[in-house]
Amino acid sequence: MKETRTAYFFLLPALLYVLVFGLYPLLYNVSLSLKDVTFITYVQGTARFVGLGNYSELANDPIFRRTFSNTLLFTGLSILFQFTIGFFLALLFNRSFPLKGILQSLIMVPWVLPIIVSGSFFRWFFSDNGMLNGFLTAFGIVTRPIPWITSGHLPIFSVTMANIWLGIPFNFVLLYTGLQGIPEELLESAAIDGATGWQRVVYIITPLLRPVILATLTLGCIFTVKVFDLVWIITQGGPGDVSHLFSTLSYSLAFNKLHFGKASAVLVVMLLVVMLLTVFLNLFQKEA
Amino acid sequence: MKRKKVWTQWKWTVYAAIPTGIIILPLYFIAIGGFQSVAEIFHKPPHLFPPNPTTAYYKDALFTLAPYLRNSLIIALGVLGVTLVVALPSAFALAKFQFLLKRPASFILAFTQVLPATAIIIPLFLIFSRVGLINNYLGVILGISVFTIPFATIVLNAYIQAIPSGLIEAALIDGAGFFRIFTSIIVPLASPAIATASILTLIMAWGDFIFALSFLKERTLQPMSIGLYNFIGQYGIQWNKLMAGSMIFAIPPLIVALLAGKAIVAGLTAGAFKE
Repeated sequence: MKETRTAYFFLLPALLYVLVFGLYPLLYNVSLSLKDVTFITYVQGTARFVGLGNYSELANDPIFRRTFSNTLLFTGLSILFQFTIGFFLALLFNRSFPLKGILQSLIMVPWVLPIIVSGSFFRWFFSDNGMLNGFLTAFGIVTRPIPWITSGHLPIFSVTMANIWLGIPFNFVLLYTGLQGIPEELLESAAIDGATGWQRVVYIITPLLRPVILATLTLGCIFTVKVFDLVWIITQGGPGDVSHLFSTLSYSLAFNKLHFGKASAVLVVMLLVVMLLTVFLNLFQKEA
Repeated sequence: MKRKKVWTQWKWTVYAAIPTGIIILPLYFIAIGGFQSVAEIFHKPPHLFPPNPTTAYYKDALFTLAPYLRNSLIIALGVLGVTLVVALPSAFALAKFQFLLKRPASFILAFTQVLPATAIIIPLFLIFSRVGLINNYLGVILGISVFTIPFATIVLNAYIQAIPSGLIEAALIDGAGFFRIFTSIIVPLASPAIATASILTLIMAWGDFIFALSFLKERTLQPMSIGLYNFIGQYGIQWNKLMAGSMIFAIPPLIVALLAGKAIVAGLTAGAFKE
Protein backbone atom coordinates (compact mmCIF):
# COMPACT_ATOMS: atom_id res chain seq x y z
CA MET A 1 0.00 0.00 0.00
CA LYS A 2 1.14 3.49 -0.78
CA GLU A 3 -0.16 5.54 2.18
CA THR A 4 3.32 6.78 2.99
CA ARG A 5 2.39 9.17 5.73
CA THR A 6 0.38 6.51 7.56
CA ALA A 7 3.29 4.11 7.25
CA TYR A 8 5.71 6.56 8.86
CA PHE A 9 3.19 7.27 11.59
CA PHE A 10 3.09 3.59 12.51
CA LEU A 11 6.81 3.09 12.13
CA LEU A 12 7.93 6.18 14.02
CA PRO A 13 7.75 4.92 17.64
CA ALA A 14 9.98 1.90 16.97
CA LEU A 15 12.41 3.82 14.82
CA LEU A 16 12.74 6.67 17.32
CA TYR A 17 13.14 4.17 20.12
CA VAL A 18 16.09 2.31 18.60
CA LEU A 19 17.68 5.56 17.43
CA VAL A 20 17.47 7.19 20.87
CA PHE A 21 18.20 4.20 23.11
CA GLY A 22 20.30 2.05 20.74
CA LEU A 23 22.19 3.90 18.04
CA TYR A 24 22.76 7.18 19.85
CA PRO A 25 24.42 5.46 22.85
CA LEU A 26 26.48 3.39 20.42
CA LEU A 27 27.87 6.54 18.76
CA TYR A 28 28.20 8.26 22.12
CA ASN A 29 30.57 5.41 23.03
CA VAL A 30 32.88 6.39 20.20
CA SER A 31 33.03 9.96 21.43
CA LEU A 32 33.58 8.80 25.03
CA SER A 33 36.48 6.66 23.83
CA LEU A 34 38.28 9.78 22.61
CA LYS A 35 38.07 11.56 25.97
CA ASP A 36 39.50 10.97 29.44
CA VAL A 37 36.07 10.43 30.97
CA THR A 38 35.97 9.34 34.60
CA PHE A 39 32.93 9.71 36.79
CA ILE A 40 34.20 13.02 38.20
CA THR A 41 35.10 14.59 34.85
CA TYR A 42 31.76 13.44 33.49
CA VAL A 43 29.74 15.01 36.29
CA GLN A 44 31.76 18.23 36.18
CA GLY A 45 31.74 18.25 32.37
CA THR A 46 35.51 18.68 32.31
CA ALA A 47 36.51 15.58 30.34
CA ARG A 48 39.34 16.46 27.95
CA PHE A 49 39.68 15.30 24.37
CA VAL A 50 42.65 12.94 24.25
CA GLY A 51 42.44 11.70 20.65
CA LEU A 52 43.58 8.12 20.42
CA GLY A 53 45.16 8.29 23.86
CA ASN A 54 42.90 5.65 25.36
CA TYR A 55 43.63 3.34 22.44
CA SER A 56 47.39 3.67 22.71
CA GLU A 57 47.16 3.05 26.44
CA LEU A 58 45.26 -0.16 25.68
CA ALA A 59 47.80 -1.25 23.08
CA ASN A 60 50.52 -1.09 25.74
CA ASP A 61 48.44 -2.78 28.39
CA PRO A 62 49.28 -6.48 28.92
CA ILE A 63 45.80 -7.07 30.36
CA PHE A 64 44.20 -5.76 27.20
CA ARG A 65 46.46 -7.89 25.01
CA ARG A 66 45.57 -10.93 27.04
CA THR A 67 41.89 -9.99 26.71
CA PHE A 68 42.29 -9.77 22.95
CA SER A 69 43.74 -13.25 22.63
CA ASN A 70 41.25 -14.57 25.20
CA THR A 71 38.35 -13.29 23.11
CA LEU A 72 39.70 -14.86 19.93
CA LEU A 73 40.34 -18.17 21.69
CA PHE A 74 36.94 -18.11 23.37
CA THR A 75 35.16 -17.32 20.11
CA GLY A 76 37.10 -19.79 17.98
CA LEU A 77 36.71 -22.75 20.33
CA SER A 78 33.10 -21.95 21.18
CA ILE A 79 32.02 -21.76 17.55
CA LEU A 80 33.99 -24.85 16.55
CA PHE A 81 32.34 -27.05 19.18
CA GLN A 82 28.88 -25.48 19.26
CA PHE A 83 28.59 -25.72 15.53
CA THR A 84 29.85 -29.31 15.32
CA ILE A 85 27.58 -30.51 18.11
CA GLY A 86 24.62 -28.52 16.78
CA PHE A 87 25.12 -29.92 13.28
CA PHE A 88 25.39 -33.46 14.60
CA LEU A 89 22.16 -33.04 16.59
CA ALA A 90 20.38 -31.46 13.63
CA LEU A 91 21.29 -34.45 11.45
CA LEU A 92 20.16 -36.81 14.21
CA PHE A 93 16.79 -35.09 14.52
CA ASN A 94 16.25 -34.81 10.77
CA ARG A 95 13.84 -37.80 10.69
CA SER A 96 10.66 -38.67 12.50
CA PHE A 97 10.65 -40.85 15.61
CA PRO A 98 8.53 -41.19 18.74
CA LEU A 99 8.89 -38.42 21.40
CA LYS A 100 10.82 -36.21 18.99
CA GLY A 101 8.90 -33.08 20.01
CA ILE A 102 9.71 -33.43 23.70
CA LEU A 103 13.39 -34.18 23.08
CA GLN A 104 13.62 -31.14 20.80
CA SER A 105 12.14 -28.91 23.49
CA LEU A 106 14.62 -30.32 26.02
CA ILE A 107 17.56 -29.42 23.77
CA MET A 108 16.38 -25.81 24.07
CA VAL A 109 16.93 -25.87 27.85
CA PRO A 110 20.34 -24.11 27.82
CA TRP A 111 18.79 -21.27 25.81
CA VAL A 112 15.73 -20.96 28.03
CA LEU A 113 17.48 -21.02 31.41
CA PRO A 114 18.15 -17.53 32.78
CA ILE A 115 21.87 -16.85 32.44
CA ILE A 116 22.32 -16.38 36.19
CA VAL A 117 21.07 -19.94 36.70
CA SER A 118 23.46 -21.60 34.26
CA GLY A 119 26.25 -19.24 35.33
CA SER A 120 25.88 -20.10 39.03
CA PHE A 121 25.75 -23.78 38.20
CA PHE A 122 29.02 -23.62 36.29
CA ARG A 123 30.64 -21.57 39.02
CA TRP A 124 29.79 -24.34 41.45
CA PHE A 125 30.66 -27.08 38.93
CA PHE A 126 34.18 -25.66 38.29
CA SER A 127 34.94 -24.48 41.83
CA ASP A 128 37.88 -26.03 43.70
CA ASN A 129 35.71 -28.35 45.78
CA GLY A 130 32.93 -28.39 43.19
CA MET A 131 31.32 -31.09 41.18
CA LEU A 132 33.89 -31.61 38.43
CA ASN A 133 36.75 -31.94 40.91
CA GLY A 134 34.47 -34.10 43.06
CA PHE A 135 34.15 -36.66 40.27
CA LEU A 136 37.78 -36.42 39.16
CA THR A 137 39.27 -36.91 42.62
CA ALA A 138 36.77 -39.56 43.76
CA PHE A 139 37.59 -41.72 40.74
CA GLY A 140 41.31 -41.17 41.16
CA ILE A 141 41.73 -39.39 37.83
CA VAL A 142 43.53 -36.58 39.59
CA THR A 143 44.96 -36.61 43.09
CA ARG A 144 44.54 -32.91 43.82
CA PRO A 145 41.64 -30.68 42.73
CA ILE A 146 42.33 -28.77 39.51
CA PRO A 147 41.94 -24.95 39.82
CA TRP A 148 39.48 -24.70 36.92
CA ILE A 149 38.51 -21.10 37.63
CA THR A 150 40.80 -20.04 40.45
CA SER A 151 44.33 -19.78 39.00
CA GLY A 152 46.69 -20.43 36.12
CA HIS A 153 45.72 -20.62 32.48
CA LEU A 154 42.59 -22.70 32.85
CA PRO A 155 39.85 -20.14 33.66
CA ILE A 156 39.38 -18.98 30.08
CA PHE A 157 39.05 -22.60 28.92
CA SER A 158 36.54 -23.36 31.66
CA VAL A 159 34.28 -20.46 30.72
CA THR A 160 34.64 -21.51 27.09
CA MET A 161 33.35 -24.98 27.97
CA ALA A 162 30.36 -23.44 29.71
CA ASN A 163 29.71 -21.23 26.70
CA ILE A 164 29.83 -24.18 24.31
CA TRP A 165 27.02 -25.79 26.27
CA LEU A 166 25.08 -22.54 26.18
CA GLY A 167 25.33 -22.17 22.40
CA ILE A 168 24.24 -25.65 21.34
CA PRO A 169 20.48 -24.85 21.03
CA PHE A 170 21.10 -21.84 18.82
CA ASN A 171 23.24 -23.79 16.33
CA PHE A 172 20.91 -26.77 16.48
CA VAL A 173 17.77 -24.73 15.72
CA LEU A 174 19.23 -22.85 12.77
CA LEU A 175 20.82 -25.91 11.17
CA TYR A 176 17.81 -28.12 11.84
CA THR A 177 15.49 -25.60 10.18
CA GLY A 178 17.90 -25.42 7.26
CA LEU A 179 17.88 -29.21 6.91
CA GLN A 180 14.09 -29.21 6.73
CA GLY A 181 14.43 -27.27 3.48
CA ILE A 182 16.36 -30.03 1.71
CA PRO A 183 13.96 -32.21 -0.32
CA GLU A 184 13.82 -35.73 1.04
CA GLU A 185 13.68 -37.28 -2.45
CA LEU A 186 17.15 -35.94 -3.11
CA LEU A 187 18.60 -37.79 -0.14
CA GLU A 188 16.57 -40.91 -0.89
CA SER A 189 17.73 -41.12 -4.47
CA ALA A 190 21.31 -40.62 -3.35
CA ALA A 191 20.83 -43.47 -0.88
CA ILE A 192 19.47 -45.69 -3.67
CA ASP A 193 22.52 -44.83 -5.76
CA GLY A 194 24.60 -46.22 -2.91
CA ALA A 195 25.72 -43.04 -1.12
CA THR A 196 26.57 -43.73 2.52
CA GLY A 197 25.39 -41.49 5.31
CA TRP A 198 28.70 -39.64 5.39
CA GLN A 199 28.76 -39.17 1.64
CA ARG A 200 25.28 -37.67 1.77
CA VAL A 201 26.38 -35.23 4.46
CA VAL A 202 29.56 -34.19 2.66
CA TYR A 203 28.39 -34.09 -0.96
CA ILE A 204 24.70 -33.19 -0.76
CA ILE A 205 23.73 -31.69 2.58
CA THR A 206 26.73 -29.45 3.22
CA PRO A 207 26.78 -27.72 -0.21
CA LEU A 208 22.99 -27.20 -0.18
CA LEU A 209 23.14 -25.90 3.36
CA ARG A 210 26.01 -23.52 2.66
CA PRO A 211 24.01 -20.27 3.05
CA VAL A 212 22.49 -21.50 6.33
CA ILE A 213 25.89 -22.65 7.58
CA LEU A 214 27.44 -19.27 6.83
CA ALA A 215 24.56 -17.41 8.46
CA THR A 216 24.87 -19.62 11.55
CA LEU A 217 28.62 -19.04 11.77
CA THR A 218 28.27 -15.29 11.22
CA LEU A 219 25.60 -14.86 13.87
CA GLY A 220 27.51 -17.23 16.12
CA CYS A 221 30.61 -15.01 15.87
CA ILE A 222 28.60 -11.83 16.48
CA PHE A 223 26.99 -13.34 19.56
CA THR A 224 30.13 -15.00 20.93
CA VAL A 225 32.59 -12.10 20.66
CA LYS A 226 30.21 -10.00 22.76
CA VAL A 227 29.52 -12.53 25.56
CA PHE A 228 29.38 -10.82 28.93
CA ASP A 229 27.01 -12.34 31.49
CA LEU A 230 28.36 -15.87 31.60
CA VAL A 231 31.98 -14.85 32.17
CA TRP A 232 31.00 -12.09 34.59
CA ILE A 233 29.04 -14.56 36.70
CA ILE A 234 31.64 -17.36 36.68
CA THR A 235 34.95 -15.47 37.04
CA GLN A 236 34.32 -11.69 36.71
CA GLY A 237 37.28 -11.82 34.33
CA GLY A 238 39.53 -12.98 37.13
CA PRO A 239 41.39 -14.16 38.98
CA GLY A 240 43.85 -11.33 38.38
CA ASP A 241 42.25 -10.30 35.08
CA VAL A 242 43.29 -13.55 33.32
CA SER A 243 39.91 -14.54 31.95
CA HIS A 244 38.55 -11.25 30.58
CA LEU A 245 36.73 -10.93 27.30
CA PHE A 246 36.37 -7.47 25.70
CA SER A 247 32.97 -6.97 27.29
CA THR A 248 33.96 -7.95 30.83
CA LEU A 249 37.15 -5.88 30.70
CA SER A 250 35.18 -2.90 29.49
CA TYR A 251 32.56 -3.42 32.18
CA SER A 252 35.09 -3.66 34.96
CA LEU A 253 36.95 -0.56 33.68
CA ALA A 254 33.68 1.36 33.61
CA PHE A 255 31.84 0.19 36.70
CA ASN A 256 34.64 -0.87 39.06
CA LYS A 257 37.35 1.63 38.10
CA LEU A 258 35.08 4.36 36.66
CA HIS A 259 37.37 4.84 33.63
CA PHE A 260 34.53 5.33 31.18
CA GLY A 261 36.73 6.60 28.35
CA LYS A 262 39.05 3.62 28.36
CA ALA A 263 36.11 1.25 28.79
CA SER A 264 34.46 2.71 25.70
CA ALA A 265 37.67 2.30 23.73
CA VAL A 266 37.65 -1.43 24.53
CA LEU A 267 34.10 -1.62 23.19
CA VAL A 268 34.97 0.17 19.99
CA VAL A 269 37.75 -2.37 19.44
CA MET A 270 35.26 -5.15 20.10
CA LEU A 271 32.80 -3.75 17.55
CA LEU A 272 35.60 -3.47 14.98
CA VAL A 273 36.53 -7.12 15.54
CA VAL A 274 32.88 -8.15 15.11
CA MET A 275 32.64 -6.17 11.87
CA LEU A 276 35.85 -7.67 10.51
CA LEU A 277 34.65 -11.20 11.29
CA THR A 278 31.30 -10.51 9.61
CA VAL A 279 32.95 -9.14 6.48
CA PHE A 280 35.38 -12.06 6.41
CA LEU A 281 32.63 -14.69 6.63
CA ASN A 282 30.60 -12.89 3.97
CA LEU A 283 33.46 -13.28 1.51
CA PHE A 284 32.58 -16.97 1.39
CA GLN A 285 28.93 -16.16 0.77
CA LYS A 286 29.71 -14.32 -2.47
CA GLU A 287 31.90 -17.10 -3.83
CA ALA A 288 29.02 -19.54 -3.74
CA MET B 1 10.53 -60.57 15.42
CA LYS B 2 8.22 -58.22 17.26
CA ARG B 3 11.04 -56.97 19.45
CA LYS B 4 13.02 -56.09 16.35
CA LYS B 5 10.14 -54.03 15.00
CA VAL B 6 9.87 -52.11 18.26
CA TRP B 7 13.61 -51.43 18.11
CA THR B 8 13.52 -50.03 14.56
CA GLN B 9 10.68 -47.80 15.61
CA TRP B 10 12.35 -46.55 18.83
CA LYS B 11 15.98 -46.79 17.73
CA TRP B 12 16.26 -43.08 16.84
CA THR B 13 14.46 -42.05 20.00
CA VAL B 14 17.19 -43.78 22.00
CA TYR B 15 19.97 -42.27 19.87
CA ALA B 16 18.48 -38.79 20.26
CA ALA B 17 17.76 -39.20 23.97
CA ILE B 18 21.42 -39.83 24.86
CA PRO B 19 22.88 -36.45 23.80
CA THR B 20 19.70 -34.68 24.94
CA GLY B 21 20.09 -36.26 28.38
CA ILE B 22 23.70 -35.09 28.61
CA ILE B 23 22.69 -31.56 27.61
CA ILE B 24 20.09 -31.27 30.37
CA LEU B 25 22.31 -32.81 33.08
CA PRO B 26 23.19 -29.38 34.55
CA LEU B 27 19.49 -28.72 35.06
CA TYR B 28 19.15 -32.03 36.87
CA PHE B 29 22.05 -31.24 39.20
CA ILE B 30 20.64 -27.79 39.92
CA ALA B 31 17.29 -29.34 40.79
CA ILE B 32 18.70 -32.00 43.15
CA GLY B 33 21.24 -29.55 44.60
CA GLY B 34 18.38 -27.71 46.26
CA PHE B 35 17.22 -30.89 48.04
CA GLN B 36 20.58 -31.54 49.75
CA SER B 37 22.48 -30.16 52.72
CA VAL B 38 25.76 -28.33 52.16
CA ALA B 39 27.68 -31.39 53.37
CA GLU B 40 25.82 -33.64 50.96
CA ILE B 41 26.28 -31.30 48.04
CA PHE B 42 30.08 -31.43 48.52
CA HIS B 43 30.20 -35.22 48.95
CA LYS B 44 32.86 -36.96 46.84
CA PRO B 45 31.89 -38.31 44.40
CA PRO B 46 28.83 -36.06 44.05
CA HIS B 47 25.52 -37.77 44.82
CA LEU B 48 23.55 -38.69 41.71
CA PHE B 49 20.37 -38.78 43.81
CA PRO B 50 19.78 -36.71 46.95
CA PRO B 51 20.43 -39.16 49.84
CA ASN B 52 18.07 -37.43 52.33
CA PRO B 53 15.90 -35.16 50.19
CA THR B 54 14.38 -32.23 52.06
CA THR B 55 12.26 -29.36 50.79
CA ALA B 56 13.55 -27.07 53.55
CA TYR B 57 16.03 -25.24 51.32
CA TYR B 58 13.48 -24.67 48.60
CA LYS B 59 11.03 -23.23 51.13
CA ASP B 60 13.75 -21.10 52.65
CA ALA B 61 14.88 -19.81 49.24
CA LEU B 62 11.33 -19.06 48.15
CA PHE B 63 10.72 -17.14 51.34
CA THR B 64 13.90 -15.03 51.23
CA LEU B 65 13.80 -14.43 47.50
CA ALA B 66 10.09 -13.69 47.05
CA PRO B 67 10.55 -9.87 46.83
CA TYR B 68 13.13 -10.36 44.08
CA LEU B 69 10.70 -12.57 42.17
CA ARG B 70 8.08 -9.84 42.39
CA ASN B 71 10.57 -7.34 40.91
CA SER B 72 11.42 -9.76 38.10
CA LEU B 73 7.75 -10.00 37.28
CA ILE B 74 7.27 -6.21 37.28
CA ILE B 75 10.24 -5.74 34.97
CA ALA B 76 9.22 -8.55 32.60
CA LEU B 77 5.65 -7.26 32.30
CA GLY B 78 6.89 -3.70 31.83
CA VAL B 79 9.18 -4.80 29.01
CA LEU B 80 6.33 -6.77 27.45
CA GLY B 81 4.03 -3.72 27.53
CA VAL B 82 6.57 -1.31 26.04
CA THR B 83 7.63 -3.86 23.44
CA LEU B 84 4.16 -4.69 22.15
CA VAL B 85 2.97 -1.09 22.07
CA VAL B 86 6.00 -0.03 20.02
CA ALA B 87 6.63 -3.15 17.93
CA LEU B 88 3.10 -3.95 16.73
CA PRO B 89 2.56 -0.71 14.77
CA SER B 90 6.04 -0.85 13.27
CA ALA B 91 5.54 -4.46 12.19
CA PHE B 92 2.27 -3.39 10.52
CA ALA B 93 4.04 -0.54 8.70
CA LEU B 94 6.88 -2.74 7.49
CA ALA B 95 4.64 -5.63 6.47
CA LYS B 96 1.88 -3.80 4.60
CA PHE B 97 3.21 -0.49 3.23
CA GLN B 98 5.69 0.56 0.55
CA PHE B 99 7.75 3.64 1.40
CA LEU B 100 11.09 5.19 0.73
CA LEU B 101 12.80 4.46 4.03
CA LYS B 102 11.54 0.90 4.34
CA ARG B 103 14.86 -0.81 3.66
CA PRO B 104 16.98 1.46 5.86
CA ALA B 105 14.40 1.18 8.63
CA SER B 106 14.44 -2.63 8.51
CA PHE B 107 18.21 -2.56 8.45
CA ILE B 108 18.42 -0.32 11.51
CA LEU B 109 16.09 -2.62 13.42
CA ALA B 110 18.02 -5.76 12.45
CA PHE B 111 21.29 -4.02 13.32
CA THR B 112 20.09 -2.92 16.74
CA GLN B 113 18.92 -6.43 17.47
CA VAL B 114 22.45 -7.85 17.19
CA LEU B 115 24.12 -4.99 19.08
CA PRO B 116 25.92 -6.06 22.23
CA ALA B 117 24.20 -4.77 25.36
CA THR B 118 27.65 -3.83 26.68
CA ALA B 119 28.04 -1.42 23.75
CA ILE B 120 25.18 0.78 24.96
CA ILE B 121 25.28 0.22 28.70
CA ILE B 122 27.94 2.83 29.59
CA PRO B 123 26.32 5.74 27.70
CA LEU B 124 22.87 4.71 28.94
CA PHE B 125 24.17 4.55 32.50
CA LEU B 126 25.66 8.05 32.25
CA ILE B 127 22.55 9.51 30.62
CA PHE B 128 20.13 7.69 32.93
CA SER B 129 22.01 8.83 36.03
CA ARG B 130 21.36 12.44 34.95
CA VAL B 131 17.64 11.97 34.45
CA GLY B 132 16.84 9.82 37.47
CA LEU B 133 16.44 6.49 35.69
CA ILE B 134 19.00 4.71 37.86
CA ASN B 135 17.39 2.79 40.73
CA ASN B 136 14.15 2.99 38.82
CA TYR B 137 12.31 0.07 37.19
CA LEU B 138 11.73 2.21 34.12
CA GLY B 139 15.46 2.51 33.36
CA VAL B 140 15.88 -1.26 33.21
CA ILE B 141 12.66 -1.68 31.23
CA LEU B 142 13.79 0.90 28.66
CA GLY B 143 17.21 -0.76 28.37
CA ILE B 144 15.95 -4.31 27.83
CA SER B 145 13.35 -3.08 25.33
CA VAL B 146 16.10 -1.82 23.00
CA PHE B 147 16.58 -5.46 22.07
CA THR B 148 13.09 -6.90 22.45
CA ILE B 149 11.46 -4.24 20.22
CA PRO B 150 13.43 -5.08 17.05
CA PHE B 151 13.13 -8.76 17.88
CA ALA B 152 9.35 -8.62 18.27
CA THR B 153 9.00 -6.42 15.18
CA ILE B 154 10.80 -9.00 13.06
CA VAL B 155 8.74 -11.90 14.44
CA LEU B 156 5.45 -10.01 13.99
CA ASN B 157 6.37 -8.63 10.57
CA ALA B 158 6.85 -12.12 9.13
CA TYR B 159 3.37 -13.08 10.27
CA ILE B 160 1.49 -9.89 9.38
CA GLN B 161 2.84 -10.10 5.83
CA ALA B 162 0.82 -13.27 5.41
CA ILE B 163 -2.48 -11.54 6.29
CA PRO B 164 -4.26 -10.96 2.94
CA SER B 165 -4.06 -7.31 1.87
CA GLY B 166 -7.55 -7.73 0.40
CA LEU B 167 -8.97 -7.57 3.92
CA ILE B 168 -7.39 -4.16 4.47
CA GLU B 169 -8.54 -2.85 1.09
CA ALA B 170 -12.10 -4.01 1.73
CA ALA B 171 -12.10 -2.22 5.11
CA LEU B 172 -10.74 0.95 3.44
CA ILE B 173 -13.59 0.86 0.93
CA ASP B 174 -16.02 0.48 3.83
CA GLY B 175 -14.62 3.73 5.18
CA ALA B 176 -12.43 2.43 8.03
CA GLY B 177 -9.30 4.43 8.83
CA PHE B 178 -5.86 2.85 9.17
CA PHE B 179 -5.93 3.08 12.95
CA ARG B 180 -9.24 1.24 13.01
CA ILE B 181 -7.85 -1.36 10.58
CA PHE B 182 -4.83 -1.81 12.81
CA THR B 183 -6.82 -2.33 16.01
CA SER B 184 -9.70 -4.39 14.64
CA ILE B 185 -8.13 -6.41 11.82
CA ILE B 186 -4.36 -6.65 12.18
CA VAL B 187 -4.07 -7.09 15.93
CA PRO B 188 -6.75 -9.82 16.28
CA LEU B 189 -5.54 -11.72 13.22
CA ALA B 190 -1.92 -11.54 14.34
CA SER B 191 -2.70 -12.95 17.78
CA PRO B 192 -0.74 -16.22 17.29
CA ALA B 193 2.36 -14.19 16.39
CA ILE B 194 1.69 -11.82 19.27
CA ALA B 195 1.66 -14.85 21.57
CA THR B 196 5.01 -16.08 20.19
CA ALA B 197 6.59 -12.63 20.40
CA SER B 198 5.27 -12.18 23.95
CA ILE B 199 6.64 -15.52 25.13
CA LEU B 200 10.10 -14.78 23.74
CA THR B 201 10.05 -11.22 25.09
CA LEU B 202 9.08 -12.44 28.55
CA ILE B 203 11.83 -15.08 28.56
CA MET B 204 14.42 -12.48 27.52
CA ALA B 205 13.25 -9.88 30.06
CA TRP B 206 12.93 -12.44 32.88
CA GLY B 207 16.48 -13.64 32.27
CA ASP B 208 18.04 -10.18 31.94
CA PHE B 209 21.18 -9.75 33.99
CA ILE B 210 23.28 -6.86 32.71
CA PHE B 211 20.70 -4.05 32.79
CA ALA B 212 19.52 -4.84 36.29
CA LEU B 213 23.15 -5.31 37.43
CA SER B 214 24.10 -1.88 36.12
CA PHE B 215 20.99 0.21 36.80
CA LEU B 216 19.52 -1.19 40.02
CA LYS B 217 21.79 -0.80 43.03
CA GLU B 218 19.00 -0.64 45.57
CA ARG B 219 18.22 -4.11 46.89
CA THR B 220 14.49 -3.55 47.21
CA LEU B 221 14.26 -2.94 43.45
CA GLN B 222 16.49 -5.74 42.22
CA PRO B 223 15.08 -8.69 40.27
CA MET B 224 15.77 -12.33 41.01
CA SER B 225 18.77 -12.53 38.66
CA ILE B 226 20.58 -10.00 40.84
CA GLY B 227 19.19 -11.50 44.06
CA LEU B 228 20.89 -14.77 43.11
CA TYR B 229 24.02 -12.94 42.01
CA ASN B 230 24.29 -11.22 45.41
CA PHE B 231 24.25 -14.70 46.90
CA ILE B 232 27.35 -15.67 44.90
CA GLY B 233 29.19 -12.59 46.10
CA GLN B 234 28.85 -13.59 49.73
CA TYR B 235 31.72 -15.20 51.55
CA GLY B 236 30.97 -18.90 52.02
CA ILE B 237 28.31 -19.37 49.40
CA GLN B 238 25.41 -21.61 50.43
CA TRP B 239 25.30 -23.55 47.20
CA ASN B 240 22.28 -25.63 48.13
CA LYS B 241 20.15 -22.55 48.75
CA LEU B 242 21.53 -20.94 45.63
CA MET B 243 20.60 -23.99 43.55
CA ALA B 244 17.12 -24.07 45.08
CA GLY B 245 16.65 -20.38 44.29
CA SER B 246 18.00 -20.87 40.78
CA MET B 247 15.57 -23.69 40.15
CA ILE B 248 12.63 -21.61 41.38
CA PHE B 249 13.70 -18.79 39.07
CA ALA B 250 14.09 -21.19 36.12
CA ILE B 251 10.73 -22.92 36.47
CA PRO B 252 8.51 -20.33 34.71
CA PRO B 253 10.59 -20.15 31.51
CA LEU B 254 11.07 -23.94 31.58
CA ILE B 255 7.34 -24.58 31.72
CA VAL B 256 6.73 -22.12 28.92
CA ALA B 257 9.47 -23.72 26.85
CA LEU B 258 8.05 -27.20 27.24
CA LEU B 259 4.51 -26.06 26.46
CA ALA B 260 5.46 -23.75 23.61
CA GLY B 261 8.64 -25.34 22.26
CA LYS B 262 7.36 -25.11 18.69
CA ALA B 263 6.55 -21.41 19.02
CA ILE B 264 10.02 -20.70 20.40
CA VAL B 265 11.74 -22.48 17.55
CA ALA B 266 9.50 -20.73 15.01
CA GLY B 267 10.14 -17.33 16.57
CA LEU B 268 13.88 -17.89 16.83
CA THR B 269 14.16 -18.79 13.17
CA ALA B 270 11.89 -15.99 11.94
CA GLY B 271 15.11 -14.10 11.43
CA ALA B 272 15.58 -12.96 14.96
CA PHE B 273 17.98 -14.37 17.46
CA LYS B 274 19.34 -14.30 20.92
CA GLU B 275 22.54 -16.19 21.51
